[in-house]
Amino acid sequence: MSTLSAVPLAAPAVVQTRQPRHSALYLLVLAGVFLVVNALQVTLVTGNPRVWLGIATWIACTGIGWILTRRLLAGTDRLIFATCMVMSGWGLLMIYRLLPNFGDRQAVWLVVGTVAMLTALRFPDLLGRMRRYRYSILLGGTLLLLATILFGTNPSGFASAPALWLGTGSVFFQPSELLKIVLVVFLASYLAEQYPVLRSAALFERKRRLFLAPRIAGPVVLMWGICVVILVWQRDLGTAILFFALFVCLLYVASGSNWVLVAAAGLILAAGAVAYFLFDVVQLRVDIWVNPWIDPDNRAYQIVQSLMTFSAGGVFGQGIGLGYPSYVPVIHSDFMFAAIAEEFGFLGVITVIALLMVLVSRSFRIAALQQGKPYQTLLAVGFCSLIAVQSLMIMGGVVKIIPLTGVTLPFISYGGSSLVVSFFMVGILLRLSAVKG
Amino acid sequence: MNIELITLLRAISGVLLFTLLLALMWLVWRDLKATEQQVSSGRRPLGRLTVVEPVGKTFIPTGQIYPLLTVTTIGRSPGSTIMIDDSFVSSEHAVIAMRGGQWWLEDRGSRNGTQLNDMTIAQPVIVTNGDIVCVGQKRFRIELEH
Repeated sequence: MSTLSAVPLAAPAVVQTRQPRHSALYLLVLAGVFLVVNALQVTLVTGNPRVWLGIATWIACTGIGWILTRRLLAGTDRLIFATCMVMSGWGLLMIYRLLPNFGDRQAVWLVVGTVAMLTALRFPDLLGRMRRYRYSILLGGTLLLLATILFGTNPSGFASAPALWLGTGSVFFQPSELLKIVLVVFLASYLAEQYPVLRSAALFERKRRLFLAPRIAGPVVLMWGICVVILVWQRDLGTAILFFALFVCLLYVASGSNWVLVAAAGLILAAGAVAYFLFDVVQLRVDIWVNPWIDPDNRAYQIVQSLMTFSAGGVFGQGIGLGYPSYVPVIHSDFMFAAIAEEFGFLGVITVIALLMVLVSRSFRIAALQQGKPYQTLLAVGFCSLIAVQSLMIMGGVVKIIPLTGVTLPFISYGGSSLVVSFFMVGILLRLSAVKG
Repeated sequence: MNIELITLLRAISGVLLFTLLLALMWLVWRDLKATEQQVSSGRRPLGRLTVVEPVGKTFIPTGQIYPLLTVTTIGRSPGSTIMIDDSFVSSEHAVIAMRGGQWWLEDRGSRNGTQLNDMTIAQPVIVTNGDIVCVGQKRFRIELEH
């Protein structure tokens, strides 16, 4: 009988793609060595050994996360975990180098983020629950956002800075980050329910595009509109644009109609034109995008300094700790990409883009593998298009390809809320990657 | 000494970064190959069974899709190719199979019967593209690959 059990029962019906477990491990080890070498250099240059606290935290989070993800759920995508860990480690290293006092805080957020990811991975019936209570979740998210208008503060303490944070003492949270998850969940579950109606042109005559009927589009546009109006009110325009892009991506995937993209392009141009004349913030951003050299010392200071860091970086960079990225105001959050460009050069920039590319392409593959399950597909598409669009917006803004919009570079920029929310999204993506067929 | 050490570290860091980049590029390339393979092997299922809902005279897809294999069993038992958790469905309800170049639908002695285009079938029948198969409360549209 023992010989029988050794014979495989049956060949799997579907060709399984190889799990790149070993390559993900090699990637993490390589990144770990890279981080240690650079931490050594930071210590030598600045004489501040605090960076090792961050490196130790990162190694602990990565190691424990690596073991626990496999323990908690078999068959998850290891490469997604590896890439987001590499990015967060690199970000942490840069924060310790730029602002050593902020580093410990970000290290704590890294731990919280890893816990959030593991929670998303194993919380019983998380996806079903999120689907069932979508209206309550959305209501809660909107209330939080409204609370920001009433009680919002800005931890940096500038009077003119937008007050987008909630919190007391030394712990602050940005509700608009949390709203990303809420909105993806709401849109995915609602559109999945309306999927038959969205997809069937046969139900009515060809000419009437059904998804534009108020009964279908109404709740979505209303909910999304409330969020965007509040964000515009708060002058958090980057997040508003991000939500618009998310809405378009999900509607496009759910309906499969190219007209969604055409209409969205028209709408965003119109909205941009209106915003240009209504909001002086938008006007300023567009003006310094067209020509930053009219006022390089004042209004366009940030973007001009950012372009300087790119040219100072060259191909191989100045080396960590040896550049002067601190000339760029708030380098640690929105302009982290510029700091990497100066100290790691073109090579570093391309590597960041490659890391994001691996993360996003593998996430889209997870979405594609959820064939026949609209809710799961839309959830995966929503999360990975959020990460992709957000990275494109800030990277394009920093190199002045598009007007600058203040969003964080996922996993790399300084910011607790952003890091935790990104890790939570990755946790759900990992959870979806384990369920095949 | 410090300057030499830092130069050395910078060089090591550059090499590591380059290796990291190469590794990432290789991973993307391999992913592309694997996806290509999967897409071409994904064509192997000979067709699809799309779950539909009747609305008036037409049927609209609900978004659920099952692959059609050379032998596709439908039933409540977990061993079926398409498992339906529905008390109207028998544990081994119906089979759709390719025999002699034709697709046959066969009822496996189910309690509530299998309907082909709203007619209960008594013996194995040949099915073609666009036929609606009803098992329990679920309707499938047969979509064959050409």
